Amino acid sequence: MAGLATTLGSGAMTNSINEVENAQVVLVSGSNTTNTHPQVARRIFDAVDRGAKLIVIDPRRTKLAEYAHIHLDIRPGTDIPLLNAMMRIILDENLIDDVFIEMRTENFHALRDMLYRIDLHETAAITGVSLDKISMAAQLYARAQKAVICYCLGVTQHICGTDNVQNYSNLAMLTGHLEQEDTGVDPLRGHSNVQGACDMGALPAVYPGYQAVSEPRVREKFARAWKTELPAAPGLTLLDMTHGRADGDMRGMLIFGENPMLSDPTLGKVRETLGRLDFLAVTDIYLTETAAMADVVFPAVSFAEKTGTITNSERRVQLVRQAIEPIGDSRPDYWIIMELSRRLGYPMEYDSPAEIMEEIAMLTPIYGGVYYDRLESGWGLQWPCVDRGHAGTPFLHKYSFTRGRGQFVPTRHMPASEKVDAEFPMIMITGRFYHHYHTGTMTRKSPTLNREGGEAVVQVNPEDVKTLKLRHGDLVRLTSRRGSIAVKVDSTDQVSPGYLFTTFHFAEAPVNELTVDARDPKANCPEFKISAVRIEKVGL
Amino acid sequence: MNDKYILKKDHLRPLLRRLSKQCRMVLPVKNKQGDTLFTEVSSLEDCNIDLDSQALASPKQFLLPQVETIFTYSVARDGGYSFTSVDSAEPTIYFGLRSCDLSAILYMDVIFLQKVKDPYYLQKRQNSILVSFGCPEPFDNCFCNATKSGPFLEFGFDLQFTDLGDRYFVEIGRVKGEELVNLHRHFFTAASKDDIKDQYQASLEARGQFKRQVHVDQAIKRLAADDVPESIWNDLSLRCQDCGGCAYICPTCTCFTIRDQPISAEKGERVRAWDACTFAGFTAMAGGHNPVDHRAHAIRKRFLHKLLFDVQKHGRPSCVGCGRCVNMCFGGVDIIRFVDMVCET
Repeated sequence: MAGLATTLGSGAMTNSINEVENAQVVLVSGSNTTNTHPQVARRIFDAVDRGAKLIVIDPRRTKLAEYAHIHLDIRPGTDIPLLNAMMRIILDENLIDDVFIEMRTENFHALRDMLYRIDLHETAAITGVSLDKISMAAQLYARAQKAVICYCLGVTQHICGTDNVQNYSNLAMLTGHLEQEDTGVDPLRGHSNVQGACDMGALPAVYPGYQAVSEPRVREKFARAWKTELPAAPGLTLLDMTHGRADGDMRGMLIFGENPMLSDPTLGKVRETLGRLDFLAVTDIYLTETAAMADVVFPAVSFAEKTGTITNSERRVQLVRQAIEPIGDSRPDYWIIMELSRRLGYPMEYDSPAEIMEEIAMLTPIYGGVYYDRLESGWGLQWPCVDRGHAGTPFLHKYSFTRGRGQFVPTRHMPASEKVDAEFPMIMITGRFYHHYHTGTMTRKSPTLNREGGEAVVQVNPEDVKTLKLRHGDLVRLTSRRGSIAVKVDSTDQVSPGYLFTTFHFAEAPVNELTVDARDPKANCPEFKISAVRIEKVGL
Repeated sequence: MNDKYILKKDHLRPLLRRLSKQCRMVLPVKNKQGDTLFTEVSSLEDCNIDLDSQALASPKQFLLPQVETIFTYSVARDGGYSFTSVDSAEPTIYFGLRSCDLSAILYMDVIFLQKVKDPYYLQKRQNSILVSFGCPEPFDNCFCNATKSGPFLEFGFDLQFTDLGDRYFVEIGRVKGEELVNLHRHFFTAASKDDIKDQYQASLEARGQFKRQVHVDQAIKRLAADDVPESIWNDLSLRCQDCGGCAYICPTCTCFTIRDQPISAEKGERVRAWDACTFAGFTAMAGGHNPVDHRAHAIRKRFLHKLLFDVQKHGRPSCVGCGRCVNMCFGGVDIIRFVDMVCET
């Protein structure tokens, strides 16, 4: 979010998902798209069927990487040097889009000067990918007229996540691959409706529609609408909350539909923080690991029992209609919030989600034309949609960037927060498997999905399996400087020697006991992708 | 016996209304979101019957439900088990099936009724009346001509309707169809020679309307001759996204899994649920070993089953050419692409 907001002015997919199929080059980075965004992957396949070239940047040999025309299997956390090398090659080959740079961007000279100072061979060496391959990818991307970059959490969940994103946007601006249909920079969101949550101001420093808390005019507008006083200081970031701040003055917490006791890094710290609270209330559809620690649990309804909207990666607001009556005592989230608020002395009087959307439309310019009656038919509306007459926006930054001129932000390689050593010699990457979703709160209740993947495994390269005298299926202990878990070995060449991959779906083997608590200083996104660990066989 | 009749279009709804009073009806209904699905209808009021579109899913789910309780059990205090069977099949008219849907049911009959008779399926099948519609105009991805399961059928239906513009031409195929017509004889008039000619013409014209040429016969021959390069499986599997959608939507995919699940502390149920051979868990052994290299061969079994094994076993492929998997597949590795790939190599 923060990365693209700085360079382009808006932190969302610049294209629509179905535009991907018209691209001539699709560059996928840090995304196991077939597993995590099948609907996007489908468009990537369509694009390839129409003759597009596919470049995948991923330390893992995912199915998509194997399918790609070029797979740049970089060392984790080396996106910046990779892109710097690509951009230097594009500069040397004179494949930059001068007119675009001149007309639409600023700060190009800073980037150019930085690129001229780097040593290509050294830079390529950091990534572990041959310069030839990098050059091929760079030329392919730069020479295409329509090229799309899709990236996901493999790019953002690093201490340099924001810089990574900014460098992808540098690459796109350098080659003029923006401001048009079928070409752009497309972050794939990691969570259903995470786009909607961000849009609605579930971020520390903004109100709905990315209107800054620091802006007095904005504050006044919301204060008037809500008939209350609003704090001038931004709120806390996720880890400021769940890892506890040094001043430690937080006493109560209300958690909605999140399971930080499994999903946040360095679980030891989360456990300590939540345990220290005077009061914890959790709203969820199941009794999660986090809910189990709560003083009060509010049973929420599932998607099938409520009406509301979900905003997807392509900024499309879509209606979700209630299909069945709420089961048991469960209630819709908005009802729970309203009821809590009423009992705390601030009555909210919304009769329906549609009425809440009317208020959103009134206070949030980018949602200004989003009303339930308009969402009833068709496939929803893509923001910015400023008023009732507006049809929505399939691709962003037409004619000019949201922030005016696109800003080049030169970035430099930043080594991962944790390094391997003799004691913890391997790098562990965390992510997801196809058959489970996040902390498995829902998916682990399905027998079919559990049969496909019912227990935590760690992917280990067959060479490492041999050297460590392990076998496929062995129970091993993964230990980092912070904790230790037991998982089974999955011997596969999807990971390179020296690297491990595992997931955070399983409460029995909570991988976030191991992960580092370092985070990107700008977006505060945790570095889930790199932790140093050791692996040992568990004796029977 | 005259077994060909005419039903005026105006009289269709009254007939359906009469039938719906007599027994349960399942027919294609367009819902509020604009999707046409086979739907159990209790009243024809406010019911948008859609006989012009292809239903998104076949009626498989009514004869082989996605999750079906086959019996319940309870545990007594002393540890003894008692079992209760579940009877649920009530007489049902399936109206508006397409030829492919009906062919698929005939295939399911072979699987579930030929040797060992599956009691749960048998019950539902014995209580069913199948009324199909010949397809005068195939849909975008249809290729039932290539699988010989349409656009019109010669047998297998209880009744087959043909749309002749202002009227339906109705053929009787089986006794149950005859009984239905006799019971409601006043709705029907005997077909004239011209009607029969018109119907024949419509069925001939339909054959020439297919938008896709899918060379199923050629693919079957190549597979039988083992004339398919090994690389094809890897190429396909790389794009398979492991969702099982093809098997779930396929009207002839009948593999199921069985599991016991608790209802309460003392009670439980045994259910059977749809399964898909494209899942790794379909072949995984208890110890974790999988005899199938899932990454490279995820969809090999499925295509071989459809176009090789079933041809060897039953003399015909078990693809009915409905084209539903073409729209379903995220990876674009549906059966049409497979047939094309086999034929191209």
